Amino acid sequence: MAGLVTTFGAGAMTNSIGEIRDADVLFVIGSNTTEAHPIIAMEMKRAVHRGATLIVADPRSINLTSFASRHLKLRPGTDVWLLNAMAHVICAEGLVDADFIETNTEGFDAVRETVARYTPEEAEKVTGVPADDIRWAARAYATTPKAGIYYTLGITEHTHGTDNVYGLANLVLMTGHLGKPSAGMNPLRGQNNVQGANDAGATPIFYPGYQRVDDPEVAARYEKSWGVPLPREPGLNLNVMMKETGRSIRGMFVMGEDIVLSEPNAGALEERMNGLEFLVIQEIFLNETARFADVILPGACFAEKDGVFTNSERRVQRVRKAVEPPGQAKADWEAVLALANAVAEKRGLTPWRYDGPAAIYAEMAKDADKFAGISHDRVDREGGLQWPCTSPEHPGTRFLHEGGVLRGKGLFTAIEYRPSVELADPEYPLVLSTGRTLYHYNAATQTRRGVGLAEKQPVAFCEIHPADARARSIEQGDLVEVETRRGKVACRAMVSRQVRRGCIWMPLHFAEARANLLTVDDGDIVTQTAEYKVCAAKVTRVAEQPAERDAFPGSFYAVAGPEQGTIH
Amino acid sequence: MPDDHRRAAVPDALERAGGLVPGAARAVSAETGVPEAHVWGVGSFFHLLARPDVDARVCTGLSCQLAGADALLDAARGAGVSCEGVSCLAACDRAPAVLRGRRVQPDATAETLGAEVPDWAGTIGPDGADPDRLAIDLAGEPDWSGTAFAKAEAMGADAVIEAIDVSGLQGRGGAGFPAAFKWKSVRGQPDETRYVVLNADEGEPGTFKDREVLLRRPDRVLEGLAIAARAIGARDVYCYLRGEFEIPWKKLADAIDRVGAAGLFPDVTFHMHAGQGAYICGEETALIEALEGKRGMPRLRPPFPTEHGLWGKPTLVHNVETIACVPAVVTRGGPWFKDLGVTGPGTKLYCVSGHVARPGTYEMPLGVSLEELVTAAGGYVGMLKAFSPGGASSGFLPASEKHRPLDFKSLADVGSMLGSAGVVVCNDTVAMPWAVKQQLQFFEVESCGQCAPCRIGTRFLREALDRHVADPRPAALAQVADVSWEMNEGSICGLGQAACLPLTTAMKWFPEEFGQ
Amino acid sequence: MSSQNPKRVPEEASDPSLSVTLDGETVDARPGETILELAERHGKDIPTLCHDPRLAPAGACRSCLVEVEGSRRLIPSCATPVADGQVVTTANDRIARHQKVLLALYLADQPDFAARGETPGGAQACELHAMADAVGAPTDWPKMEPLRVGREDRNPYVQFFPEACILCARCTRYCAEIESVSAISLAGRGAETTIATADDVSLLDSSCELCGGCIDVCPTGAMTEKMPVTAGRRGHVEPEKVVRTTCNYCGVGCQMDLHVEPAANDGRGRIERVVSPEAGTTTNDGNLCVKGRFAYDFVDHEDRLTTPLIRAEDGSLREASWDEALARTVEGLMGVHERHGADALAFVSSSRCTMEENYLVQKMARAVFGTNNVHQCAAT
Repeated sequence: MAGLVTTFGAGAMTNSIGEIRDADVLFVIGSNTTEAHPIIAMEMKRAVHRGATLIVADPRSINLTSFASRHLKLRPGTDVWLLNAMAHVICAEGLVDADFIETNTEGFDAVRETVARYTPEEAEKVTGVPADDIRWAARAYATTPKAGIYYTLGITEHTHGTDNVYGLANLVLMTGHLGKPSAGMNPLRGQNNVQGANDAGATPIFYPGYQRVDDPEVAARYEKSWGVPLPREPGLNLNVMMKETGRSIRGMFVMGEDIVLSEPNAGALEERMNGLEFLVIQEIFLNETARFADVILPGACFAEKDGVFTNSERRVQRVRKAVEPPGQAKADWEAVLALANAVAEKRGLTPWRYDGPAAIYAEMAKDADKFAGISHDRVDREGGLQWPCTSPEHPGTRFLHEGGVLRGKGLFTAIEYRPSVELADPEYPLVLSTGRTLYHYNAATQTRRGVGLAEKQPVAFCEIHPADARARSIEQGDLVEVETRRGKVACRAMVSRQVRRGCIWMPLHFAEARANLLTVDDGDIVTQTAEYKVCAAKVTRVAEQPAERDAFPGSFYAVAGPEQGTIH
Repeated sequence: MPDDHRRAAVPDALERAGGLVPGAARAVSAETGVPEAHVWGVGSFFHLLARPDVDARVCTGLSCQLAGADALLDAARGAGVSCEGVSCLAACDRAPAVLRGRRVQPDATAETLGAEVPDWAGTIGPDGADPDRLAIDLAGEPDWSGTAFAKAEAMGADAVIEAIDVSGLQGRGGAGFPAAFKWKSVRGQPDETRYVVLNADEGEPGTFKDREVLLRRPDRVLEGLAIAARAIGARDVYCYLRGEFEIPWKKLADAIDRVGAAGLFPDVTFHMHAGQGAYICGEETALIEALEGKRGMPRLRPPFPTEHGLWGKPTLVHNVETIACVPAVVTRGGPWFKDLGVTGPGTKLYCVSGHVARPGTYEMPLGVSLEELVTAAGGYVGMLKAFSPGGASSGFLPASEKHRPLDFKSLADVGSMLGSAGVVVCNDTVAMPWAVKQQLQFFEVESCGQCAPCRIGTRFLREALDRHVADPRPAALAQVADVSWEMNEGSICGLGQAACLPLTTAMKWFPEEFGQ
Repeated sequence: MSSQNPKRVPEEASDPSLSVTLDGETVDARPGETILELAERHGKDIPTLCHDPRLAPAGACRSCLVEVEGSRRLIPSCATPVADGQVVTTANDRIARHQKVLLALYLADQPDFAARGETPGGAQACELHAMADAVGAPTDWPKMEPLRVGREDRNPYVQFFPEACILCARCTRYCAEIESVSAISLAGRGAETTIATADDVSLLDSSCELCGGCIDVCPTGAMTEKMPVTAGRRGHVEPEKVVRTTCNYCGVGCQMDLHVEPAANDGRGRIERVVSPEAGTTTNDGNLCVKGRFAYDFVDHEDRLTTPLIRAEDGSLREASWDEALARTVEGLMGVHERHGADALAFVSSSRCTMEENYLVQKMARAVFGTNNVHQCAAT
């Protein structure tokens, strides 16, 4: 997100989901869209049925690759090489939009000089993607007006995640694929309200609406609005908080997140958790983090409370209470309000008064221009509004940057390739990536409690290439141990050509085989987002009793890969 | 395009896999890239693929039923042969017929069911016809000189199409549509990738003439196709033969090899495609779907295949007999052909079977009457009661219509049709409800199932007839008029539109047999 | 440019308007629209069963046939584009007779639901029976012999009742054209045509992603949700309460309608089923994925936390009142604050919670505790 804000002046999908089906070129990178954003994948496939060209860049063969004109199957962590080489082709072949660059951007010359060194032939050596494919993709993207970029955590969850975002943004800016329908740069959000949580200021550097905490004017406004002095220094990023847990961080409040399961290098985090003097969590189920909590507050799920979620395309939509929370469980806003007021009382501050989520939203919108025109009433009436929406008359914004980049000038950023922090070596010869599957969600506290999804995908597994499996005498369904410098877990082997040779892949959902015991917690230099997508690992077969083997249900998942049905 | 061709390979791949045995759909999916459910959908549509474990299929067409097909089926089952009934095998002249593997065994008896089936052909006539007055001349020696093609090349496409226009040649598959109209339409399309398709999916009960043309005059067929391809600007010709035509397939394949080796028709490539058991694929758009490797369900029209046919390209689809007329039209000229007929242009291959002395294929002037045809075929067996003039789809006519010219218009005038000119003769031992039931069952089994008027209507009529036979009261047939009307109005293709005719025409001409 | 470059789709031409006579009235038509779309825009009520605006027209159900001058046959309005000068009739005696007889045939091919004590469509509204009522189709025709029999499928969500299926193929076309999964197909031929997976395997063993779109598009309830069926609630009609809300899984923000039984769970209410809003009205265009449509069992799961818990001296968790739990929390957080300062506190909020909740957490961190150490969990 930081990369997007830096480049364009807003951190969100530039365009809308409804425009995807009209796109002529879709460049999907680092996104297993079918499993992580099924409905967006449907729209992409509809575009393909209509005749659009789909280009997928991903180290794995995913469902979408079977719909793609080309699959750029790059080595994990080599995105910068790929993107710079595409930029190289676009510059070298004169496919840039010179007018757009002149009018709407700054910093192009530095990028042009940098990418001149990133030839497709050299890129092929590093990324493993044939130079011709890189050229083809660059031309297809650059020469098609309705060409959009779509990405997710495969781009950002790297130590060079922000560089990856800059690399993509450079492509957008040099081709002028911005400020028009079915184009732009579109991060697909993994959770229902990632966008909304960011928008609402749940970040250490921004108040609501991306207003910096270290901007004196902004801070002064909020001090006036909230009636208290406010800290002017940015706080700690999540990944830094986790590393400082038990060190400089001694007390923690966690709402709706299983940090122990979800954060990287979880073994080390668990040890540090013991150093917390106090931990309170607000949850709907006991989770791994609850083992360390001093107080656990029962929360309400989405169906039990009112409010809004903001989706990936900046659309503010209502959440409505359908059923009551169980027992004494409370909507999280009620619990936070009660806690804040209890502390306020103790500290002699004025207590907060809200008669409900609509009033809370109204307060937020009042101080943030981007949402000033949005209210619960309007969303109820109109069914959803996309920010920026600056006044009650403003219709909302389908795509950003129409008639000029929000930031004023789109900022090119020259980037150089930096390898991932942990590369394969003789001791740990495989590259491990982690991700999601369609049938589970995050820590799976919800999905594994359903009667259905657990049946479709019951056990933890690790994808491994047939050649790598053969070298280790591993067969489909064997019990294997996956080990990194940080920990090891046992799961089933899924022998598949979906992964590259030398790479393995694990879903992150399974508490009994926690992929995050394995991952590195080194973060991106700007965002501190951890490198969930690359670390060095080894895999060994584990002997097991025949009875255990018999109990193995034999199916992992049935999102048909490219091996099953490529004609649609 | 490569994807299209991989999908088109599905039926063949399923055949090689031994039909729709467990696991075959998945294996073919892996081989072709077509989703396995779609492979399953295709395999289950075609009975030769859907039921690969049947050793013998006894033809249940009306002529074979008249020749004792039911008794043969019982006897075969009694002898422990894995067998079932099957729709018309286009061997009505050698009834009863049985399909063994993909080869049709003529004149079958329970005793000969295990025997090897040699190559065979049917009776042709009439005896003593003047070859200079025959467009196809089944008895003639195959002509591999390529004379007609060479002449057509010299004439140029416009002159060839003009000759076809002047000849008055109408489609011989059933609809009787003017051939020249189609040629002009395809030739006039802006898309320059065009195809010619040979419809050799002969399956209308009572019809077996295309089989005979393929067996005896494959030269005419290929030369006609080559002339057509050049005239409309196509390079690729797809020959779709029903899967049960193992013997005709071999003849045509040999002929293709022969003209290829001789370099007779440069710039024209012949492709062969085997049907997998579905009458409906004789309908041209269903045939195109099947060629594309899909379920053989007719398309909505418009657009017509001449604009939007195989793989969306302009396509000329012709029946075997129609295309076999083309060389003679080119060689001898349009006026010559037009003058051959009595009430319409050309000669016509009439198939006659059932209660006649010498069932077979007779090339006679278009517009001869039943009486003249049967005279050529050696006369009636027993006393004529009713006849079906053009396949099951034409319904029944009474003996009193035996002097009516068998042509497109005269038969339409009386609520019937010439169709494929598959004439089935019934004598006075035949009960009309029984004969109607054979035809209704045929349509019920062969409906593609796509649209409700046909899928439900064919079954509804058969069940109504069953109720009437079990308990002859008018109430049983109370809905027939409405359902027949709706099938004709509401069905997508000709199958459903005509499927009521056996019942409604029989009720019209033989009311007393239906309690009316 | 290299010939390898992908094809370019031309920009849409500007729309000249066409003139069509619709039931005697001259109206403007848009190039490319179908007669059905034109008629619907002009308030005509043409019945349809196999039509879905998201799908390529099939023209298979035959309910939308109309008369077009110059065409001998009735033609499917859903599949026929408008043309300049076209003369269209959507209602007359011929069309009325066609609709009545067609629907009578459909009904004759349906089971006798009344005799079985069931409602047509089960939990869904049955478009077929509603249409038969609307066109006045005779209902006294003899019922046909049942042909298509059900199969067991151990998948947890989707139940198929073949005898109620009218083979409109909305489900198979949806599965291929929208979901692009192609797990099911029309199978067999003629009256025995049905909907099937390859080798008739369970949906669990097919490429099916269990999105349940087949249920949503089914006009007769032949494709229906399994849970109400296994719970003995087939035939259960419209729920008392429908709540439009936003899905709580990924970031697409699908809108969905929770069908709620308010009296269930001792008055807490229970979500009976989740239905997608009509196509074309929300971002998800009538679609949902497996999680959105089916993964809501957790709401009523016995593991839900129902009371605050406090860590006891011995390390175990014990139940507590809200007052006690809040007091302990204030004491705990303020203790750290006093001992180590505001920046020794960290606040993790949730991308799973509402915007208002996230707003309150960051405001609490900043205004009440005095630290900017606040971040939502999905920080990227």
